[in-house]
Formats: sequence, structure tokens, C-alpha cells
Amino acid sequence: MNWGLTILLLVPIVGALIAALMPLRQIGGVAAIMTLIQVGFLIPIVLDFKIGTELTGFVDELWLPELGVHYSLGIDGLNLFMICLVVLAWSIATFAASRHEFAQPRMFYAMLALAEVGTLGAFMAQDLILFVLFFDLLLVPFYFLIGMWGKDTELGNSRRATATFMIYTLVGSLLMLVCAVALGVLSSTQNGTPLTFEFADLAANQVGNSTQNWLFVGFMLALLIKMPIPPLHGWMPITYKATPLPVLIVLSAVVAKLGAFGFLRIVMPLMPHAVDSFQPLLLLLAVIAIIYGSVMAFSQDDTRLVVGYSSIAQIGFVLLGIFVIDAKGAEGAILQMINHGIVVIALFLIIAFLGERAGSEKLSEMGGLAKNAPIFATLFLIVALATLAMPGSMNFVGETYILFGAFQTKFVWGVVASIGVVLAAVYMLRMFQRSMHNRGSAGDEATNSRSRELDSGELGLLVPAVLVILALAIYPQYVVERVEPNAAQTVKSVTQPAQPVALDTDGGVER
Amino acid sequence: MNISWYIALSAVLFSIGAGGLVARRSPLVMLLCLELMLNGANLSLVAFARMHGDGGGQIFALVVMVVAACEVVVGLGLIVALYRNRLPIDIDELDHLKDPQKADSAL
Amino acid sequence: MITAITPILAHAADFAEGARPEDPAMWGWILLLTPLVGALILGLGHRIWSERVAGLIGTAAIFLAFGAALACLAQLLGMDAEERHVLSGFTYAQAFGVDFRFDIYYDQLAVMMALIVTGVSALIHLYSMAYMKSDRGYTRFFGYLNFFVFSMLLLVLAGNMLLLVIGWGFVGAASYLLISFWYRRSSATRAGAKAFVMNVIGDVALVIAAYLLWHELHTLTIPTLLANADDPFTVMPTATFTAVALLLLVGAFAKSAQVPLHTWLPDAMEGPTPVSALIHAATMVTAGVYLICRMHPFIEISDAASMTAAALGTATLLIAATTALVQTDLKRIIAYSTMSQIGYMIAGAAAAAYSASMFHLMTHAFFKALLFMSAGSVIAAMGGIQDVRRMGGFKKAMPFTYIVFVIGALTLAGFPLLSGFWSKDEIISYTLHRGGAFTIIAAGMYIGAILTAFYSLRAVFLVFHGDPAPEAKELEGGHIAHGDHTNPATGEHEDTEVGFPGADHHIAEREGEMKVAMGTLAFLAIVAGFVQIPGVTHVIEKWLEPVFEDSRYADSIPSVSAQWIGLGVGAVIAITGIAIAYWAYMKNRGVTERWTERFPRANAFLLNAWYFDWLYDRVFVRPVAAFAVFCNKVIERFVVDGIVVGTTTLVKDGAERVRAAQSGLARAYALSIIGGTVVIALYFVVVGK
Repeated sequence: MNWGLTILLLVPIVGALIAALMPLRQIGGVAAIMTLIQVGFLIPIVLDFKIGTELTGFVDELWLPELGVHYSLGIDGLNLFMICLVVLAWSIATFAASRHEFAQPRMFYAMLALAEVGTLGAFMAQDLILFVLFFDLLLVPFYFLIGMWGKDTELGNSRRATATFMIYTLVGSLLMLVCAVALGVLSSTQNGTPLTFEFADLAANQVGNSTQNWLFVGFMLALLIKMPIPPLHGWMPITYKATPLPVLIVLSAVVAKLGAFGFLRIVMPLMPHAVDSFQPLLLLLAVIAIIYGSVMAFSQDDTRLVVGYSSIAQIGFVLLGIFVIDAKGAEGAILQMINHGIVVIALFLIIAFLGERAGSEKLSEMGGLAKNAPIFATLFLIVALATLAMPGSMNFVGETYILFGAFQTKFVWGVVASIGVVLAAVYMLRMFQRSMHNRGSAGDEATNSRSRELDSGELGLLVPAVLVILALAIYPQYVVERVEPNAAQTVKSVTQPAQPVALDTDGGVER
Repeated sequence: MNISWYIALSAVLFSIGAGGLVARRSPLVMLLCLELMLNGANLSLVAFARMHGDGGGQIFALVVMVVAACEVVVGLGLIVALYRNRLPIDIDELDHLKDPQKADSAL
Repeated sequence: MITAITPILAHAADFAEGARPEDPAMWGWILLLTPLVGALILGLGHRIWSERVAGLIGTAAIFLAFGAALACLAQLLGMDAEERHVLSGFTYAQAFGVDFRFDIYYDQLAVMMALIVTGVSALIHLYSMAYMKSDRGYTRFFGYLNFFVFSMLLLVLAGNMLLLVIGWGFVGAASYLLISFWYRRSSATRAGAKAFVMNVIGDVALVIAAYLLWHELHTLTIPTLLANADDPFTVMPTATFTAVALLLLVGAFAKSAQVPLHTWLPDAMEGPTPVSALIHAATMVTAGVYLICRMHPFIEISDAASMTAAALGTATLLIAATTALVQTDLKRIIAYSTMSQIGYMIAGAAAAAYSASMFHLMTHAFFKALLFMSAGSVIAAMGGIQDVRRMGGFKKAMPFTYIVFVIGALTLAGFPLLSGFWSKDEIISYTLHRGGAFTIIAAGMYIGAILTAFYSLRAVFLVFHGDPAPEAKELEGGHIAHGDHTNPATGEHEDTEVGFPGADHHIAEREGEMKVAMGTLAFLAIVAGFVQIPGVTHVIEKWLEPVFEDSRYADSIPSVSAQWIGLGVGAVIAITGIAIAYWAYMKNRGVTERWTERFPRANAFLLNAWYFDWLYDRVFVRPVAAFAVFCNKVIERFVVDGIVVGTTTLVKDGAERVRAAQSGLARAYALSIIGGTVVIALYFVVVGK
């Protein structure tokens, strides 16, 4: 058995366990350093990656033979950079967390690591039940992370935030579980093949068209809730306000992308007919997300909600790229998943730093910070420009590919989505200016001359993210060419389904 | 003899017992009705045993009698405890298993 | 990772080696990257450099870039006249047939533009070395300026449509940074945001245009696109290409501040004066004209687009000129005049008078930058006050500034023999020669010319003639006034620690760098026109001819005599306008105040720039803000929370109902047991049958 990916999967929890053995004060620091080990494991995987649709590091063990469940992991162009993003996000988040004292740190870092294991597993899984398993496994650590270390806000106390988050996600996840099991079972009965949940097998033995349609609904709900897309985004405001910042970094940067990833990895190859049928609905939802998210983003006072709603808008673009069913759109969608993840990491760090300096996370109570923190202002500006997909950043590349794909297949949708680009400029610039420029709040004037610049610890957190943004801006081709074959393959599975469709039990029409 | 008569009698006994169980409010009378229901079931057990020539039905009837006896002991014990604690001997008043929001303060 | 760095290292090696015969675009790369290197050096070392050193680094970088531009020119001159173009680059983000490459391309048009940009920028950097002294953000200023020049060159040298969009976006970002340079002023930050958002609208339009071009012609490389444009079978006046033309125009208009995307330019005067001189006079706002000239086949293909461009250009010309008549802020007068002059260039390019437009672009860069520089000097003498009603009689106190300002104003007005005279009238005569609807356009241009002459000299007379203002008297006594440092727009006290404009003010008379820069521009303003004397010299026309020979109207050239008649008419108009201004402000002082009292509504209309800002506020800003409030109050509360609250209420109610069954009544339980058993028994009885 090829142990590489399994080790990568388990390193986080091992690191947390080692950290748990340390004396109380040092747990955070040790946990943070342990995350760097993952980077070491990841580098050879990335460097050795061969461009193409083959899976790297492929593991396939029969786990539950009677149920057809395999323990199957693999890395391809679709999830290579998502894994990198996971490792980057968790590493930065753990370092950020180690700068603060948390009650019961052993449990905290263990939960954080467990969440990472769940995310890594979900991205790498090549078996449907395994994917659902990891997807739901994520909920356990987040329940504790938000419930025990979350704070009470004016939207509700941390218990209410946890309950809201759990209920929303669980409803979707359980529906997805039902549909996943149904998919496997029906695929086996309709095609006469043995019961298996591996993606490759399910893609080759698809279910009938009307079956696909109702199975799609279950997956769609679960994934849309995760992303989140209006109108299923109700958990976002209260959860984003209550969650501690290091947890919020990983939640927003990475876990949210699982939703979009699910569409690409599972829904498109396994239920292509349903993708076609539901395309108009999903396009409409994507455009609503873009417009609604942007409009809400520039009318919020709380910085966390600005970023939260802007994430809705950005993930709306990703959804648009996926559902235009065009290779360029899919490529752009994957690129934007990566870009937005990196940018969100940086944005939440910036919010943390702003909050510490202004004593509040509300924009109305901030201002004029650039005078005493020029380096901070410069880094913030770079991140802000990247978020609004300033031409020259890799976000622009991703967005352009999405728009090109949209223009190619659904021109009008693309033009409407372009409005989102202008709105993005409005909300990001507003956030930057309200916090950095203009005059500060009244109390600020008194302490005018004191430097509020980033200290070395904070720089150490923010600079790597900014460097990644800049590196990708200079040479995006590195990512573009590695993603290209998988984007093409995913779209091809919808436009040119692999084999003739089996008849439904009710004699549904063949494609 | 035609077994239908026995079954009919058993059904009548059972129904009378069931009706009495639902209609009466005194726990003592409810216990009597329960006995009636059990005896009705016993009758039909014995009748079927005789019909099939299988002794198992009669043995089962004996088991039922034992269980009935035990249950009567417990039931009568409960009634005596109710009486001793000055609680109403009325099944409709003894509803503390319901939603505690509406529980009255007597207990 | 190695594959990623190799192309960048390869190109870096080019520069290190100096001359690598295989890469023909070496000088182009040096031209492009020198300002960027300057910006990086200034940015990364901003704590190290002293003011003097920072200024020198910034200015030297641009002078070096100018040298590189000259080298490019030399390279092109050494090439065959028909083949003067160079293309070079690397793959940036290419997939699925979208050739998104980082290519630079330069031909005669690009090199001319690059020379203008780097040349005028270098002089403005020199000016800024003195003007921005003692501003706390001095190093930051030069870093931003260098970054701006890099962005502008990226735009000019772009050989790929999406790279053009990147340059377009960078220029917008640089403009934002420089407009809101004094970021403690809320008026400045607001103006910067407004400019940026309008610019993004242009960006989006260009992306859509790039897509349509790629879709039709399967390439994003600009020279290839232009070559294909000659093929009448691929590029036809269909709806798609009309859309391309209109979208390109939207982008151009957003950048060049033409109606209807023009409202950001007057507000952009919040930036320091060198910024106004560089970005909002000479370079950034001319990018739209450059774009139209560069992509001219795609604009020409659509008559609708050409006419729209001409009509809007003329409309801008007139709207801006009339607005400038009544403005009281010196910089705004010059800003509106820029808007108006660019209207000339746009209308001229729409009339296919490309070389004439580029000629006017060049002369305009010289005299407008000069005007802004002089205005900066005057405003410094006024201690930061920009209101012309409070100025007056500076002629004696600031002789040098007076002379160069007058030169600039006369050139703008089109006074005979100065450069503006030749270039403006060349555009008008070409437009007139096109005939048809363009005759109306030309008439509009002549009306604009008389207005231009009037308001240019109005500024001269108000600022330099008449009774000396208190600040002027102070200056005559050898002392520069210090203002009270309150922002006239918002009333908030200026934070002089973050600039505006520092504790000291710098006027041309006392600063050598400013004199050199302004003097050079004044000289150019005078002589630059002589390169295009009809019938005598054709330097620019001949130089740009190969670029525009594929134009449908390449042979539509007015005769020499027609051009001389045009020049005569232009001279008469200019002198008439100047005379009216003289009469209104010198001979008959106070007559304009009486006009203002007699026509208050007209005055307000012009003063508020035809109420465009008011219109946009009502049509765009308020509805969107209202929509945001609606989303927050209604949708979030009812729709979204509704789902959460609704679900929990549903579950709770369901639970209530189920709980009702647990009544605690034993008899009810007994009944349900018996009933249920009966039902099951009946079921078996029935089904068993």
C-alpha cells in the first residue's frame, strides 16, 4: 500500500497529540511548528506532480467489502492546490492561534487538527462514502471549536451560533448521505455491477436520468449550504461573528471551498444529466449570490461580515464558472477557489490586526491607521486589490476565465455577473479606506504619534500569504497548466458522457 | 365441539374487559377488567390447544396466569400506596407522566 | 517550480548581458521595467532613503526610461519603414486556446506615445523634486509616480489584449493611490474611490471586448488582431463587431473622462498638482485616445460606433468648455479644459484623423502639464488656496510663473504660431474634410475653440492681473504666505503631518528644478507645432503613416490650401476669444459678476457641470444604497432568518402536537393500545384473504 497520502492525512492529528504532551504554555507554539512538517511532506508531492488526469499517490484498499466502500485517496490537478491551500491555511491559523491564550489548549489544538484531517480527507477521497464520511467528520471539531471558544455577539450567543451552524450543515449533510448511498446502490442495481462507491466506477456506471435528478437535489442542498449560497446562507452572519479568528480563517478559506469542490469532483462526473437539467437554476443562484453578496458586503459595519458577504459573492463566481459547463469556466472556477482561499486567509489576519488596534471590529470605529502603520497599509492594499480581482493579480486570471466561459455559453449571464466585478471594487475599497484612510475615531487623535505597525510576529503571519499572492500574480501559468487537464476532463464528463445510460427502473428515456 | 364458540366467548370476554378498562376510572376496577382480558386470552389459548392437540397452549395459559397474579400484586400494592398517601383513587387525576409544564403542585 | 522561474530568469539575463541579439525587444523590456525597478527600490528602501536621494532615484529612473524610449526609436528607425514593429513575451496564463500572454509590442505609434509619456513624466518628476519637498510622504510619492509610469508603459507597450487590460487596471490603481495621496482628507479618498470605480467599469468593458475579439478571431495578440482586421471576410460590420467597438469606447471614455464617464476628473484635482499634471493632463487621460488609435480598424468597422464616439467627444468638448467658463477653482478650470481638449482628440480619432489626434495629444501634453505646473506654483504662493476669486495681480510677484502660464494659456487658446494652433486646427480641418455629419462636429469644434480661448485668458487675467491679492503683496515683499489649512470642501482641519503640502510651499521663482522643467515645457509648447506645418513639414504624419495606412480613410487628407484656410479661421477665432476675455476682465471689470446675477440658473447649471453628478447620484448611487438597505432589513430578516426561524418553529410546533398525545391519562394510553392492536389484527385478517 502506498502510505504517502495516508501519512499526509494523519500528520496533523499526530502533531496535535505531540503538542498535547507539552506543558500548557508551549502547546500552541509546538502545535504550530508541527504544522510545518506537513509542508515538508507536501513539497515533494507538488514538485513531482505530473500534468495530466492521472491520480498521484493513489491508494485503494477495500475497506468494507460488503458495502463496497473503499479506502481510496488520490491527488490530481483538481485537488493538488486545494491541499496546498489547506496546509497553508492551517499552518497560518495555528500560528495565529498560538499568539493567544486559549482555555483548554490541548483540546483546542486537537480539534483544530482533527478539522484539518477531515478537510484533507474530503479533498483527497476517491470514494463517495469516504468523502461523505470526512465531510461530516468536519462537523465534530467545529462544534467544539465554535461552541467552547466562540464568543457571544449581538446576533446571539455562541451556543446559538453553534446550533445554527450545526443544524444548517447537518440537514444538508444527511441529505447528501442518503443520496450518496442511493447513488451507489442504484448504480449497482441499474447497471448490474457489484456494489462499489469509488468515483471511477460510479462515473463509468451512471444511473438513469430521472434518478440523477432527485439525487442531485440532495447533493446540491448540502453543497450550497456549505459554500454558502443565498438563500441558504443564514448561518453565515452569526457563525462568522461568533467564531474565534483562527478557526474562522480555516472555515472561510478552505471548508467553504469543499462545497464547490463537491460539485466538480462528484456531481459533474457522476450525475452529468442532472447538471444539464439544473443548469439554469444554478446559474440563477450563482448570479444572485454575486449581486446579493456584493450589495450586502458594502453595507456592513462589521469587518467580519464584509468579508463574509464578499466570500459569498466570490464563491458565486466560482459556482457560475462551474455551471456554465465550459472548460474555461471550470478552469477559472478552480483557480478562483485557490485564489480566494489565499486572499481570505490574509483578510482575516488583517481583520484580527485591525480589531486589536482599533479595539473594535466595526468599520465605523476605525480610520486613519495608515499613518502609523504604513507597512500594514501596503500589505492590506495588495490583499484588497487582489480580492477585487485587480487586473494583474491571479484573481483576475481566474475571473477572466470564468467570464470567458460564461460569455461563451451564456452570454447574458456573464454580462450580469460582470456587474459583480464593479461592486467588488466598491466594497473592498470601502473597507480599506474606512479602516486605513481618513481620520480615525476621536480617541485616535490623542495617540496619534504612536506607531501601530505590525510587529514581527504579525508580519510573519501576513507576509507569507502576501508573497503567495504576488508570486501567483507574476506567473500564474504554473497553476493554470496543472489544473487544465482536469478542468477539461470534468467538463467533458458532462458534455460527452462516457457510455450509454442505463434505463431507469421506471423506463426513463435514454440520453 | 366447534371451536368458533370458544373463540367467540373469548372475544366477548376480551371486549368486555377492554371496554371496562377504557371506561372505568377506578384502578381497582381496571385491574379486574385486565383480569377479564387475560382470562379471555387464556380461554382462546386452551381452546386452540385442544383443537391442535398440542399441550403448549395450556402451558402458556398457566404462564399467563402466573404473570397475571404478579401483575395484580403490583397493581394492588400501588393502589394501597395511593390510598395511604391520600392521593385520589381516580386514574384521570393521576397524570404526572405528562408534560411537566402543566403538572399541578400536589406532588 | 523551475519551469516557472526559467522564463523570468531568461529575461533577467537579457538585461544583465546588455545586448542579446536574439531578443529584439530588449530596449522595450528595459523601457518597461526601469520605472518598476525604481518604484521597487523606493518602496522597499523607503526607510533608508533621504528625501534628496529618493527624489533622485525616482527622477533618474524616468530619465533612463526616456533614454530607453529613444533607443527603441533608434531601433525602429534602423528598420524598414513598413516593418517597424517588434513583439516579444512569455506565456502568462494560457489554457484552452485563450492565449493570455505577457507580450510587449512596439511600433511607431507606441514609441511616439512612450516618448511623450516618459519625456513629460521625467520633467514632472524633476518639478516634483522641488515642489513636494517637506511633504512627509515624499518617498511614497515618487514610488507611486514611478509605479504609474510603469503602468502607463505597460498599457502602451501591451501586445496582448488582456495585458492591455492589466495595464489599464494598474494605471487606474496608480491613479487612485495618487489622487488619495493625502489620505487623511476625506474629500481626497472619496475622489480616489470614485475614479477607481469608474475605471473598473472601463476594465470590465474591455474584458468583454477582449472576449468578443477572441471569440471571433481566436487570438488575443494585438498585432495579429490588427492584421486580421484587414480581412473583409473575418471582420465585418456585424452586431458583434459593433459591440466590440462600443465596448472599446466605453473603456476609452472611462479612462479619458469623456461624457458620460467623466465625473471623476474634476474631483481628481484633490491630488497633488504634479499628479494632476502627469496623470490628468498628459498621460492617463490620453490612454483612451491611444486605445482608439491602436484599435482603429475595429472602431472604423462600425459606423455607429464612430459616430457615437465623435458625437460624445464633441459633446464633452462643449460641456467641459462651457463649464470651465464659470469655475472658480484654478485647478478645476484646467481640468475641464483637459476634458475638453481630449474631446477634440476623441472626435478627431473618430473622424479617422489619427495622426492629427496624436499630434494634438503631444502638444496638449506639453502645454497642459505646463499649465498645471504653473498653477501649482501660484497655489503654493497662495498658501494652498485654489480659488481664483481670491487671487490677483501676481504678475509682479511671480514673473517667471506669469510668463510660462501665459505661454501655456495662449497655446491652449490656439494663438497663431504656437503649437496648439497647429495641432488643434489640423484636427478641425481633417474633420471638416470628412464631410457629412462631421461638418457639424467641426462646427462644434470651432465653437469650442472660441470658448477655450476665452476661459484660458480668463484664468490669466484673474490670477495675474488686476489688484494684487494679499498673498501677492506678501510675496512681493519676499515672503510666501501660509494658509489656514482648512479643507474648503469639508471644513475639516488639514493634517499637515501627512502632507498637504507640508509646512513649506515651493514656488517656481525659488526652485531651480521647477524652473528647468517648466521652461523646457514652455519651449516645447512654442516650437513643437512646427513639425506639422501643412505643406512644409510632415514629421508625425509620415512617421505614423504605416500604422494607419489600413484605415479606410487613409487617403482622406484635406488639401494644403484648405488646411491653411482652416488655420486662418482658427487664428481669427483664437484672437477673438482672447479679445472678448480681455474686454470682460480687463477693460470692463465686474461685467461677469453682473452676468452671474442676471442668469443665476444658467450659472448654477454650468457651475455644477451640467448637473451630471446630481444625475448619477439619483440614478445609480441612491437606488443601489436603497437596495442594500432593503436587503439588510427585509431579505435578511424575513427570507433568510425566516428559514432558520421557520424551521425551528415548524419543529417546535410539531413537537407540541406530538407532546399533546402524552397527556398522562392512562386510559387514553390504554385506548390507543387496544385500538392499534385491533387495526393490526384487522389488517392481517383482510390481507390474509
